[in-house]
Amino acid sequence: MKTRTVIAANITLLMLATAALQAADQKIAYNARNGGNMRIEGTANIIHPTWAIVSPMIGGMLEVGPGFPTEPGQEATPGKIEASGTAFMTVRSFKSVESDGKPYSDRMDEVTYEHLKEAQFKKISYKLTELTLKEVAKSKDAPYVFDSTGELTIAGTTNTIKMPVNILPGVDSKGEKRLEITGNITIKMTDFKVEPVDINLVVGHIKTGNEVKLVFKWILGQKKAVAAATQ
Amino acid sequence: MSENENDLLGYNRRDFLKGGSYATLMTMLGGVELFAQTNAPPPQEAKVPTIKIKVAVIGLGAWGREIINTLTRMPQAEIPIDAEIATICDTYKPFLRRTATAVPGATLTEDYKTILDNKDIKAVVIATPTPNHKELALAALKAGKHVYCEAPLAGSIEDAREIALAAKTAKHLIFQAGLQMRSDKQRLFLLPFIRTGALGKTVLARAQWHKKTSWRATSSNPEQEKALNWRLNKATSLGLIGEIGSHPIDQAGWFMNVLPTAVTGFGSVNFWKDDRDVPDTVQAVVEFPGDVRMIYDATLANSFDGEYEMLYGSDAAVMMRESRAWMFKEVDAPLLGWEVYADKLKVFNETGIALVAGKSKPPPVDKQGQPIKLDPVTTSPLFYALNNFLLNANDLTLAADDYKSNYGADDVDGMMEQLGKTNREVTVKRPAASYLAGFQAAVTAVKANEAVLSGKRIELKPELYELK
Repeated sequence: MKTRTVIAANITLLMLATAALQAADQKIAYNARNGGNMRIEGTANIIHPTWAIVSPMIGGMLEVGPGFPTEPGQEATPGKIEASGTAFMTVRSFKSVESDGKPYSDRMDEVTYEHLKEAQFKKISYKLTELTLKEVAKSKDAPYVFDSTGELTIAGTTNTIKMPVNILPGVDSKGEKRLEITGNITIKMTDFKVEPVDINLVVGHIKTGNEVKLVFKWILGQKKAVAAATQ
Repeated sequence: MSENENDLLGYNRRDFLKGGSYATLMTMLGGVELFAQTNAPPPQEAKVPTIKIKVAVIGLGAWGREIINTLTRMPQAEIPIDAEIATICDTYKPFLRRTATAVPGATLTEDYKTILDNKDIKAVVIATPTPNHKELALAALKAGKHVYCEAPLAGSIEDAREIALAAKTAKHLIFQAGLQMRSDKQRLFLLPFIRTGALGKTVLARAQWHKKTSWRATSSNPEQEKALNWRLNKATSLGLIGEIGSHPIDQAGWFMNVLPTAVTGFGSVNFWKDDRDVPDTVQAVVEFPGDVRMIYDATLANSFDGEYEMLYGSDAAVMMRESRAWMFKEVDAPLLGWEVYADKLKVFNETGIALVAGKSKPPPVDKQGQPIKLDPVTTSPLFYALNNFLLNANDLTLAADDYKSNYGADDVDGMMEQLGKTNREVTVKRPAASYLAGFQAAVTAVKANEAVLSGKRIELKPELYELK
């Protein structure tokens, strides 16, 4: 009887220890969900001092390791967090818009696709390589502030970029855990071997500036938890 | 809108009047010719279309053939489209045979269901007799096809409502009513002039459609002949006021951004004394808010002065003929501002002003300085309507593909939500008559026809136009 009790206790302890180890190693995977968008803003000459193109869809996935805050306002420790992921947008999903958000021009869209070499490179993509928590959320409604490093590929050319991002965990109306990741970065198009637009249109001559600002909101939903792959 | 299939008397004075001589005549009357900026010289080098979309056309009467002719010119559009007419369909074999030569690569069918089964066909144009629209439109939407359905949408308000509600639900599909004026570049150019009060206080509207034609088709088969002449039977036709008049009446309301409040009609068979019970001559008074009334008349017995639409304001009147328009200003009208940039033509004692929107340029001319004759097909309202339909359909199809590629095909609710937004965006970008516009025009058509047949005034209460 005594021996049986000791064996049972040992088995229980072993199971608890295994479960704890698994929990510590568990990664959480998120998949892109509807509701995000990417806006690219730039400057031009006198006809349209500013311009913008918008894609209403950002696809991709994100996988985060232990210490990543998945609940609103959850306690977390600043520092590097294991994370990997990719985000992408199809080039043709970008459309030129007026300042009030209304669609602008088919011709401008065409020019955009030509400059981004859409025929050859269908997507703009981003690969996350490093994520560091800098600031913990100040309240349940506030985002966590991270520093991110990743590889941005536009028109077939890849550059490493660093930018701060805000991540707001939450739950959607169906009860699915979600992340809203927002951020922006200014880049030079020539760094990606994309020449600024310099063209005559019906409205006149348009020449765009080299610097553009990428502003994004990426929505992700939590996939079912998966065990970490063996290193 | 359809035209006669076997029109032996289809000539009219419009052919004599249209073209440069008419422009000169209008200018002599002191008209300001208004040009949309897209009435520019055609491009010197044709571009290779990057957009390709497979289309089917159902209904191959005269108007169906006009649609096919227009679709074959889509590579000449500003954004060129390779609109491949994959299948043509009609239950009447002679129409199929006649049309086959115009689209040699197309599959011919008498059964529209074969079109619905073909996954490669993304868009369907319905140009059949009005009573068949409902079955075809509902089936095409259910099969996931973008639909361009000729106006009037249906012969009854109930059928039009059913079509419009199905289109409303299908957020992932473009549904465009065949009210082609709403896509016409010339009229879209005029729209802000009118809506911003450039004509002053709108006081009245007028439109006419005059043709010398029987509207009758012949066939050796009496049953087939009856089917072909559906327009002459009031059980199947909304008559001249519904089939033809619904377009300018819709246009007047669209320009003024209001719906009709009442209609009074008159109609009779004055000339074509055969077995028809649809009047060959109709007149109607359509009332709009603000005591603005529109006089419409149409006849199959006289072609004088063809067809045109007019809108009269306290400062100026606008005349629209096909894809051209003129403005006639009152002497006491305030200066609008754009006149000073316009090219001025001195003709006798009148000064006419030719305008190209957004530019201080006269109408396009060739190297010898001669006016460039605009292609009547590629500048027609139908061309713009079909062009916008295909561009919008293509955009929405690509957006659906992108959505599936980004988020997977399982998230149907999310996709519908996203495509609903995209649908609105693309139709704002490239204007097209919506299912609601189509429904409301059908309501007016049905009621106006009732008024014509009864000779009475019928009130059109706002709730009649509500889609629910």
